[in-house]
Amino acid sequence: MFGRCFWVVCAFLLPLTCLEAAKVANSLVRIQVTSQEPNYRAPWGSGEVIGGVGAGFIIANNRIMTNAHVVSNGRFLLVSKEGDPKPYLARVLYVAHDCDLAILTVDEPKFFAGTSALEFGGIPAIETSVSVYGYPIGGDRLSVTQGIVSRIDFQPYSHSGVDSHLTIQIDAAINPGNSGGPVMQNGKVVGVAFQGYSGDVAQNVGYMIPTPVILRFLKDIEDGRYDKYVDLSVSYHPLHNPAMRRALGLTDDDRGVIVGDVYGKGNSDGHLLAGDVLLTIDDLPIASDGTVTIDNETVEMAEVVERKFRGDKVKFTVLRDGKEQEVTVPLNHPWPFTLQANAYDEKPRFVVFGGLVFQPVDANFMAEHAPDNLRLRYYFDHFISQHLYKDREEIITISSVLSDPVNAYAGDFRYDIVDKINGQPIRKLSDVAEALKKPADYYVIEVIGQNRPLVLEKQAVDQARERILTRYGVVNEQRL
Amino acid sequence: MKRLLLLLTALLCTGHGTFAAAKPPPQPTPPPEVTADSLVRVNSTNQSYDFFRPWTKKAPSVRRGLGVVVAEDLVLVTAELVTNRSYVELENATTNAKSAADVVSVDYDSNLALLRPADKEVLKGARPLALDDSARVGERVDLIQLESNSAVAQTPGTITTINVSPYPLGQLALLTYRISSPLQGRDGSFVIPAVKDGKLLGLLMRYDSRSQTADVVPSPVIAHFLADAKAEKYEGFPRVGLGFASTRDPQLRRFIGLQDDGGVYVTAVRPGSAGEKAGLKKGDVILSVAGKNIDQDGNYDDAAYGKIPFSHLTSTLASVGDKLDFVVFRDGQKQTIPVTLEAANPELVRSEPYIFDRAPRYYILGGLVFEELSRSYLQEWGSNWPKEAPQQLVALDAFQDEDTSREPGKIVFLSQVFPTGNTVGYENLQHLVVTKVNGVPIKSLDDLAKAAAKPEGGFHKIEFDDDPPFIFLDAAEAEKSDEQIRQEYGITELKNLN
Repeated sequence: MFGRCFWVVCAFLLPLTCLEAAKVANSLVRIQVTSQEPNYRAPWGSGEVIGGVGAGFIIANNRIMTNAHVVSNGRFLLVSKEGDPKPYLARVLYVAHDCDLAILTVDEPKFFAGTSALEFGGIPAIETSVSVYGYPIGGDRLSVTQGIVSRIDFQPYSHSGVDSHLTIQIDAAINPGNSGGPVMQNGKVVGVAFQGYSGDVAQNVGYMIPTPVILRFLKDIEDGRYDKYVDLSVSYHPLHNPAMRRALGLTDDDRGVIVGDVYGKGNSDGHLLAGDVLLTIDDLPIASDGTVTIDNETVEMAEVVERKFRGDKVKFTVLRDGKEQEVTVPLNHPWPFTLQANAYDEKPRFVVFGGLVFQPVDANFMAEHAPDNLRLRYYFDHFISQHLYKDREEIITISSVLSDPVNAYAGDFRYDIVDKINGQPIRKLSDVAEALKKPADYYVIEVIGQNRPLVLEKQAVDQARERILTRYGVVNEQRL
Repeated sequence: MKRLLLLLTALLCTGHGTFAAAKPPPQPTPPPEVTADSLVRVNSTNQSYDFFRPWTKKAPSVRRGLGVVVAEDLVLVTAELVTNRSYVELENATTNAKSAADVVSVDYDSNLALLRPADKEVLKGARPLALDDSARVGERVDLIQLESNSAVAQTPGTITTINVSPYPLGQLALLTYRISSPLQGRDGSFVIPAVKDGKLLGLLMRYDSRSQTADVVPSPVIAHFLADAKAEKYEGFPRVGLGFASTRDPQLRRFIGLQDDGGVYVTAVRPGSAGEKAGLKKGDVILSVAGKNIDQDGNYDDAAYGKIPFSHLTSTLASVGDKLDFVVFRDGQKQTIPVTLEAANPELVRSEPYIFDRAPRYYILGGLVFEELSRSYLQEWGSNWPKEAPQQLVALDAFQDEDTSREPGKIVFLSQVFPTGNTVGYENLQHLVVTKVNGVPIKSLDDLAKAAAKPEGGFHKIEFDDDPPFIFLDAAEAEKSDEQIRQEYGITELKNLN
């Protein structure tokens, strides 16, 4: 079946592509985005305005599908069709940063007249040919490139930086401007082009989001809200070692993986334990390398959870203390630790007090500040793996000191992690605002590690307040 | 400068001679020259250990320097010259006679080492140099090198700064002379003596050719080292074990009610240190040490050098066992706390700052290689090791003093895994900190060796402070794979617990 399909495609390759191009041109849109990047160094500021171009395509119900990263931080969206000179104002209906997809619409009904909605196909077979449509750099008009399906695998999605989903690698180049464009085979959409490697790293490696991910997104938003992916929030390890298997009471049947860590506040917290051996997931046997077989395809065990939605459950057979038992994990919320994910469409949060800028540390902050401070980097990188979240919801740091007589000696505290203010533990940014609101003669800020307390006199802070806000153009003192 | 001045005085005197003929001008005594008799070439072949493969030494390399004869049979060099030495050789600068040498004392905190030749003939006729004790900022000194024909090459320089600064190898900051001098590269320049008026001023420990500045281990530090080296037991440079911060911030001063002008705020007291034993606490403000007032930055007014950090009083001017009075401000009161100075106690250090001159400790169990964490291990990642090395281990090393909860001991970790039939599935495990083996808490490799002798139910259970939380090894198979590792990986010794 696989072989036959391949030959059929080859025989009709040329005419089919021509047909496709004509049809896709009817559905393809060019998206011009004006976005505003938040400034994590001056978090009260409005941020830099930049422009960009991406692709999108029309799907059923007068909707346009594109990548989340095309419209992220968007302030003003214009879409235009092939053969129609008029740009139309568009708006975002749904955006899924965890799988880099977004749905737009255009309110002017005229826009969709004469267009045709594209339909979705399945997972294209390896070695079959696909066509990529979009507006990549090199010109302004529609561009089509062709490639073959090289690999189907779990891959990280670079938009959020922390999510991995099913991805299809193709050997057609995917360049800036291709993003959001459809990848077609046999007249149907088999993926959305979304990321590639720069030529310095690898040649002819492009990635597209395959239809299982796209269809899951479309199903998720059917209720009018995007609930994100749900996640087990555990780590697990293959069980290949014979001694390990025997010590755990397992036979030589190459089944089961061992849970390495269960992250607090995650869906599995209170249901699974580190050291549990997972034998089945939803009655599918788990192989010792962590894969399961669905529809004759071998996929990561996580794929079972990937296909579920908020509120669903997942059932395990677990070997715990030498006894098999059933454990049901309710999938009530997404991955709980957002600080390591790139954030979009959010304004930076901060508190300014006495010229000290307090900010929570997250991926955006780290990307902009790139601090050398070992402790801050360690807290950020190991927040989850070393369970630092048990002590604090957020990592609060003094990100900069707006120089003024009141803070003349506070320079050493930059990038230190705030532990207490006037004895109040600081576990999240709002704790800072609260602690600084309470009347006191002195505000005593204690940091983690070996440093003196940072002391600010209330009187001095009050006198400095207007001076600092005016001098540094701080238009608001906090955003929580 | 001084010589020029003398000469001018002499000229002026002769000029006036016709009018005041009665007095003959005083004969200026030229300062004694430093000759090759006080110097000896030192060639040290060094081989450092490979902390990634702790059973091997790296390729040997040779460092050549100029040692200073400080006693009839003793030669002073920097410790860096002979670090991880395999063979040290002395070469008489004039006769070219050679002899092997033993290291009598080596101190990596002060970066100094004392050598004694196996064959005393090599130092025959040598003229030991005395130590200078008069150096001040702005004075002219000479840096001494030897030409290949053994002629003494003197490069003049000026002492621009005298301060306390961190030394390259150890953990201490000690007195340092910074000298501005246009040195030329010459053979055997790893150690260059600095002299003044024919006396030893110090040994060069680093030179920046762009700014033409040399940092020198000065004579007061050398004097301390030589005195310690004479003692029956080498004690080394004492330390109090304090971290402190400036009290310049007037808001801090008012908050703690500090009336005095000076004082530094104690931010940390190392557990088990002399400071902790004496009762110093975090939050104390140190107002004076050994009768000297401490300013807001931690400096005192030294009679010779001006304002320098008070650690000069506690580490260089004082010796282990000395009792120094600390006056501290605590809870609104002044109190005097006597501190008995102690040497560094390696037992209290969880991750050693350096391991020189001895093989790293390790233990191989069924293909799993365990080591104890040290700065030397982390430095195998190269000069950018704080960012390149595993961050979990870097943090454990950097923040070890903050860990007051755990008992003293070392950090034992799985450094790598030899792929054998026994370790299938574990090949990618590395840099995991070990908490228990076979149920026994692990605070050193000795603990691990003992625990490994008692497998439970035919298995070794190794628990980590990490993910995965534990692994098992088949005890009988582990023993068999030892032979395989010896044979196939060519590792003759499967442990070093010395």
